[in-house]
Amino acid sequence: MFRKLQCVVALLLGASVLSIPAAAHHSFAAQYDRSKAITLKGTVTKLEWMNPHIYFYIDVKEGAHVVNWSIEGGAPSMLYRNGWRTDSLKVGDQVTVDGWLAKDGSNLANMRTVTLTDGKTVFGASSGGDTR
Amino acid sequence: MTRALLNLALIAMFAQVPTKNPPNLAGTWRNQYTPNLADALGKEPPYTAYGAERWRTVDTAKDPTGFCLPPGPSRIFTSPFPFILMQQGDMVSFLFEYQTLWRAVYMDGRPHPADIADYSDFMGHSIGKWEGETLVVDTVGMNDRSWLDTAGHEHSPKLHLTERIRKISADKLEWTATFEDPVFFTKPWSITRTFTRFDDSKDRIMPYTCTENNRDVDHLKPNQPNLNYKYEPEKE
Repeated sequence: MFRKLQCVVALLLGASVLSIPAAAHHSFAAQYDRSKAITLKGTVTKLEWMNPHIYFYIDVKEGAHVVNWSIEGGAPSMLYRNGWRTDSLKVGDQVTVDGWLAKDGSNLANMRTVTLTDGKTVFGASSGGDTR
Repeated sequence: MTRALLNLALIAMFAQVPTKNPPNLAGTWRNQYTPNLADALGKEPPYTAYGAERWRTVDTAKDPTGFCLPPGPSRIFTSPFPFILMQQGDMVSFLFEYQTLWRAVYMDGRPHPADIADYSDFMGHSIGKWEGETLVVDTVGMNDRSWLDTAGHEHSPKLHLTERIRKISADKLEWTATFEDPVFFTKPWSITRTFTRFDDSKDRIMPYTCTENNRDVDHLKPNQPNLNYKYEPEKE
């Protein structure tokens, strides 16, 4: 029951993040496909807390293989104001990323939310606030 | 008749007198993110046929800020990052978190440089004055390499931007931007946004060096969302 509640809270937080605009750097739809939602579970291998948008990388098991995915988030200042810190994600953390796939077919997604194994949702601040 | 003329002359004289004690607009402010100016206007701007065709065919993968080029003097006020407004002597300046850019507004009565069109730039050249309690900023000299918003509204080097900023409460500024550009628009049009005081006792202006790690450029794909747009010139 508690886990279910945590999931609901995570979903609500995720939904609230959608209303937080984050990018302005460029059009969301020029890079990502809003119709292609994806959920990725994996292990954090690297975090780039840099402008214009943060990137982090996760190893995802796909059958017998492990594939390294790139995940893009918002600008560091935007994430900071939404509660992220540079140690919010650490190498080795197990995470679930909900987001949207890149249009170019590469192993890249724009995050909507990131959920840690303890159920804590880290704010996404994706660039999904602008869908054009 | 003579009295009316005298009154007009007095009004004209008064209009030239600078505001002695201009309001204090200084501080750190959070602006109102507006990725599409048409949403603020309530409709598409009054395009010329050329402007409408540019809007219809715009490819948002070519957004200049996606390549870390400066956003231009008005788009930076509609981007979701705070800025500092400074008032010092004959200068008002804006220090922006976004791309670590600044704008200087000369308040000493000087005109724009006569050769500004030969030295146009992304952020343009700004001069300002006080009209009562309102700061009026006049900007020209912008090149056509910036866009007016993320949606892809563009402009020509003939863009003339007039901004009016006034305090509407202790913690709010009203910003009205008027866009005149005979190449893209048949007449001037304006949008109004609100800036809210940014609590820098709990937060701070943070770094934004856009070229630090701009991985996005390698993944941009052509995106033309307006190809079905039908141009209907505004009736006078």
